[in-house]
Amino acid sequence: MKIIRMVDVDDMEDIAIGGAVLGTGGGGDPYVGKLMAQQAIRKHGPVRLIDVMELADDALVVPVCMMGAPTVMTEKLPQGDELMNAFVALERVMGRKIDAVLCGEAGGVNSTTPFVVAASSGLPLIDGDGMGRAYPELQMVTFTLHGVSATPMVLCDDKGNSLVLNTVSNAWTERLARAATIEMGGSALLAFYPMSGAVAKKAIVAGTLTLCAKIGEILRAARAEHSDPVAALTDLLGATTLFHGRVMDIERRTEGGFARGKATFTGVDTCKGQTLRLDFQNEFLMAERDGEVLATTPDLIAVVEADSGAPVTTDSLKYGQRLIALAWPSNPMWRTPEGIALVGPRYFKYDRDYVALG
Amino acid sequence: MSDDGSWPLVEADLLPLSIGAAFLGTGGGGNPYVGMLRSRELLRKGATVRVLPLDALPDDALIGEVGGIGAPVVGVEKIEEGGECYRAMRAVEDTLGIRMSALICAEIGGANAMEPVITAAQAGLPVIDGDGMGRAFPEVQMTTFFIYGAKPSPAAIADDKGNVVVFRDVIDMYWLERFARDTSVAMGAAAGFAIAPMRMDFVRRTAVPNTMTQALTIGRAVLDARAKRQNVVERIVAATGATLFFTGKVTDIRRELKGGFARGEAKIAGMGDWQGCEGRIAIQNENLVLWVDGDPVIMVPDLIINLDLETGEPITTEVLRYGQRVAVIGLPVHDLMKTPEAMAVVGPQAFGYPDLTFAPLAFGPINA
Repeated sequence: MKIIRMVDVDDMEDIAIGGAVLGTGGGGDPYVGKLMAQQAIRKHGPVRLIDVMELADDALVVPVCMMGAPTVMTEKLPQGDELMNAFVALERVMGRKIDAVLCGEAGGVNSTTPFVVAASSGLPLIDGDGMGRAYPELQMVTFTLHGVSATPMVLCDDKGNSLVLNTVSNAWTERLARAATIEMGGSALLAFYPMSGAVAKKAIVAGTLTLCAKIGEILRAARAEHSDPVAALTDLLGATTLFHGRVMDIERRTEGGFARGKATFTGVDTCKGQTLRLDFQNEFLMAERDGEVLATTPDLIAVVEADSGAPVTTDSLKYGQRLIALAWPSNPMWRTPEGIALVGPRYFKYDRDYVALG
Repeated sequence: MSDDGSWPLVEADLLPLSIGAAFLGTGGGGNPYVGMLRSRELLRKGATVRVLPLDALPDDALIGEVGGIGAPVVGVEKIEEGGECYRAMRAVEDTLGIRMSALICAEIGGANAMEPVITAAQAGLPVIDGDGMGRAFPEVQMTTFFIYGAKPSPAAIADDKGNVVVFRDVIDMYWLERFARDTSVAMGAAAGFAIAPMRMDFVRRTAVPNTMTQALTIGRAVLDARAKRQNVVERIVAATGATLFFTGKVTDIRRELKGGFARGEAKIAGMGDWQGCEGRIAIQNENLVLWVDGDPVIMVPDLIINLDLETGEPITTEVLRYGQRVAVIGLPVHDLMKTPEAMAVVGPQAFGYPDLTFAPLAFGPINA
């Protein structure tokens, strides 16, 4: 099997930064996942990253993920074995060996969690994921658009509890898994969406883990060369700069297991005199400048520090920070009527239509 | 009755069984009426269910416990699809790769008296004459099975839509209650539940024995008394060895839905022998404590049952209302529910009454 690259301990630094950018403000801080991945790689050796096209059509592929409120995940650390427990338990439920690990969500903490399982199990990790970004609910993956069932799914916590779900729809999986996650203390680890190699080839957003690594690399290089990291990032992603401003107001509440709210920015430089509002539900979902919608989910909206290009999450936004808001187009699978129905602004109860970024 | 002491449950048994179950529900446990109708349909379509005494099966036979989980008030409005407990039981079996030999009630009190009958009819299994409470209690861990060490996992919960969640590994019975409670709320506050199989020798030791027979006996006494226009309350007292502790009129009822439970308190102004006294009953789905003029006279785990003073019909806590005339009777719980291990799970302290020390009731003379 052709290997795209071997991912070693140092590579995880870049991937975590890239994961935070694709996290579009949410997805949980990749820091904890990065440390877990590095520890697993030190113990078991580097992870083989492979192209999805290299898989046999009848291979069994399983994505892994951490679920919960990002604000909880940064405080309540996993105990360490849960991800492998969930993975091995699902293998037992499926009654056959899993052939490759997949990333459920390349944005945020879940850009790094699959490396823990790939390193510990010695299985290859597929370069790609189910979102190309981060989203707050577990049915919001391109797998759903291709009719893949989230179940059988295994959910584990830090205490040793594990649950197996079999549901009638992925929306029901989300509802039942959310209730269990809240009971588990606000975060849980899961193995779900078991699928064949043939399905994975059609259903994943390919190349996103390599993209994470590249984002980390160019930000690191630009800082070392004292060039403009934000410009380098914008070039790589094909992003539009939406706004340059300071945080004026943040409204945040933890509601139904989610961090919801909005942030208001007042413009500086070329944006002087203008106001930007970002709405978020774990992730940034909509950007409005003086009442005009500039970008909405499923396109990606990220906020980075003006001088370092470092991504800023919704839970670390603070009054007075000088930041730049960027947006770039999502994977074409999301920009279909089915994709918009699953993750468009109206699903998130915003009374706005999807505005496609050019 | 056959050589092993087993007997077939027939259609004529279902109504008295449901009446006795409602009585043993001690105000809660949900209404057995819908389950009675469903069992009747299954029997009419040709299903057979045998009732086995506790000594019928070999020690290594595997026994399943099934029941509905949720708020009784919801169960009245959101009628079961019918296969919930069956799917939950099958999920447990499939997780372990085993098959159950028989089923047993978690609680004989209320709607859950009928659930194993329904599942047994669907699966072609017998049911065992006994249960895990000898009454009704609001939480999953409050059975003699769990009190005496039944494994908390794997257990499973299934809803009316086809969703099934298997609690594959849970660290203890309290966690099982937490997960099952939350999942049942997410499923619409009514679902079917099945726990890990128990060996027959364990069930023989830990089940409250012969409670299906007890419920039937109570139900038959009620029907007989009604047919003969006798005083139903007196007949029940005579048939069960219960004691009449209070008669009066409900003057105040406070009720709230909190954490998936119906909690509250009822005040009763004394009548007859209790003229001038005040009775007070604390409620969490079931009746927990009866005070008369401030003195606790009956408390969990003993059974406190409100009967309609005229008809002898058991009154569940959700239909208790101002102006009702009630007879409050007390019945001693089975000895398995009075040990120190049991007190820790179902004693007054476990229900949030740290000042009460359990004072067990004595049986009256039984005279059916």
